[in-house]
Amino acid sequence: MFSPANLKRLFMILIIVGVVAVMTGTPGSSSAPPTTGVHGSFLERVSWFGLFVAPRWLLFLTFGVIIWLVVSLYRPRARMIRRRVDTVFALPKAFTAKKSTRVALMVLALVVVLVLPKFVHESFWMYLIVEQIGVYVLLALGLNVVVGFAGLLDLGFAAFYAIGAYTTAWLTGALPAPALFHHPIPILWVIPIGIAAAMVFGVLLGTPTLRLRGDYLAIVTLGFALIIDDFVETQSGVTGGGVGSSLISHPALDLGFWHYRWGISPTPYYYLCLLFIVVFIVVFTSLEHSRIGRAWVAIREDEVAAESVGINPLKYKVMAFAVGAASGGFGGVMSAGLVGIINPALFTYQVSVNVLVLVIFGGMGSIWGVALGACVIQAVTSYLDNYQPWGYQINDLYMYIGALLIIMMIFRPAGLLPSRRRAREFAAAKGDEQVHTDEVLTGDQP
Amino acid sequence: MSGEVTTDLIIRAEHLTLRFGGVVSLRDVSIDMRRGEILAVIGPNGAGKTSLFNSLSGVYQPQEGSITFMAHDATALSVIGKKAHQIAQAGVSRTFQASRLFSALSVFENIKIGAESHRGIGLVGALVKGPGTRRGDHQSDEVVIDLLTFVGLTREANLIASQLSYGARRRLEIARALATEPEVILLDEPAAGTNPSEKLELANLIRRVRDERGVSVLLIEHDMKLVMSLAERLYVLNFGSVIAEGSPEEVRANPVVIDAYLGSSHEETKA
Repeated sequence: MFSPANLKRLFMILIIVGVVAVMTGTPGSSSAPPTTGVHGSFLERVSWFGLFVAPRWLLFLTFGVIIWLVVSLYRPRARMIRRRVDTVFALPKAFTAKKSTRVALMVLALVVVLVLPKFVHESFWMYLIVEQIGVYVLLALGLNVVVGFAGLLDLGFAAFYAIGAYTTAWLTGALPAPALFHHPIPILWVIPIGIAAAMVFGVLLGTPTLRLRGDYLAIVTLGFALIIDDFVETQSGVTGGGVGSSLISHPALDLGFWHYRWGISPTPYYYLCLLFIVVFIVVFTSLEHSRIGRAWVAIREDEVAAESVGINPLKYKVMAFAVGAASGGFGGVMSAGLVGIINPALFTYQVSVNVLVLVIFGGMGSIWGVALGACVIQAVTSYLDNYQPWGYQINDLYMYIGALLIIMMIFRPAGLLPSRRRAREFAAAKGDEQVHTDEVLTGDQP
Repeated sequence: MSGEVTTDLIIRAEHLTLRFGGVVSLRDVSIDMRRGEILAVIGPNGAGKTSLFNSLSGVYQPQEGSITFMAHDATALSVIGKKAHQIAQAGVSRTFQASRLFSALSVFENIKIGAESHRGIGLVGALVKGPGTRRGDHQSDEVVIDLLTFVGLTREANLIASQLSYGARRRLEIARALATEPEVILLDEPAAGTNPSEKLELANLIRRVRDERGVSVLLIEHDMKLVMSLAERLYVLNFGSVIAEGSPEEVRANPVVIDAYLGSSHEETKA
């Protein structure tokens, strides 16, 4: 019980509990002295579900000791517990092994999302579902092509989102910049143009930069996003500057015999968004299993080996950028059409990081994982932001997301629903038999 | 062995010099490779063998000299300045010293990537799976099945590459390189890390690559026994320069080689 290893564990648990206490405590502020945070985190007396009142430090200390006792007592059985946990984690994989179950699950998911608006009565929530979940699923699906399939770390994905949105605003005549056509064009026609614009920017950015690898590429993409962000912020004559634009018209569909106009109600947007999510999922899935998808995997796993079998890495990487940008761009069109307002604050670096978190959480390279992960995180975030339960503070969001990512990386590094290939890569990286350094290439170089 | 070694050249490298800063890796190296031969490059560690391979396959760009690849359709390709994937597409394929397989993919997929990637495909072709795309896919599958049989990995087709034994990995790498339908294959220490029986199997396979597939073979190998039994001609490198060239018998008898390279192991190879 009091062996050094056990005491060390107690120490670690108390540190973690202490961090949690600080995380959940009252926020400090720039005006209050720094001690307020400590006071609020540890000394404040709080009621424990009305049962008793105690200072927070006592409460958290008790928690820590209880956790320590539980861990210490169960330590001898740790292996068995771990095996059970593994079995539980393996359940979804075993369950979806059969193709029929997978198809059934997909149909079920489709039915659920189709009837969802019938059960959400408040248009505020419907609105959030489209803006916070639908659009982010689109963004995550797009970034997944870049990061998950081709293995290119893109820290500036929000740039494509911005390009889609600003193209929409520009073409519908809502920007100070002179519109391309004499008459502003209906927003629905903007969809293909917005997607195309994002793809063109993907190629433009990709061609010079994708010669870089790894960290260097990440830095360049970050720079690109910052440039776009700065451009829309400062060029008020073109983009409306920091205020942006609030004049974007609602989409309308005019087929001559049938006319439909999207209005204030978010439900029609929901279906439009859903339609495109399904289209993107189908397109990306079929790309993943095509020759292009295999070329992406080859580049991701070993670029030198990929080149040695005749794959032009630059070509396929640029392709990944452009394809990913397509759904990012559509996310922008969608968001601009729905909200009718755009401004630089919607496309900051934070958005890029956010989308990357969704991809990592859902499972890099796994289309369904990424879609599900985006739904889960965005739904929880929206709920927390709007209800603020248990003294949750909006500013604390990234603290919790950071903690979530750390826990994920420890227990489920390949993501919520890992892609089979990616899961294997992680497994291979764990075993030390893989030698994949550049030493291999240079061979017996001095 | 094959009595019909034709004399026309397939690769001609002239006066190659490759430097990394102050370190000279290759110094005025000239190599002629004949079509249809099994040619070996030997030399002690650091002699520049892998540098030569990396220059031939476009991974390194030598500062001086020229490399010409003569394809069977009589077009001459100047290799220097070309990208690695262009050289692979032109018909020069390679393996790596420590195998660089796509370790999360199956054996089948590994070869398939080799079989399909030297043919171009557009985004539209991949999405709209028209008859052309499907025919190409089918052809690739046939190439893969053929190669699986050729290297004897049919039963392992659905295993993940990282699950293979060392010898099987080396064979898979050769199959993947062959899938690009090359005219020359560069094998960088194909037998490294394999056991004696696997070594024998590999030697056999390499001979069959030339005899049955008509692919010229250039190999680097440390195992003297293997090289001497396999290669028809040898180049000996030392400190980045070619110090000898000739048949195994000639090289074995060359005093310069004995001094510089074989040293004490000379007795062993004779035995």
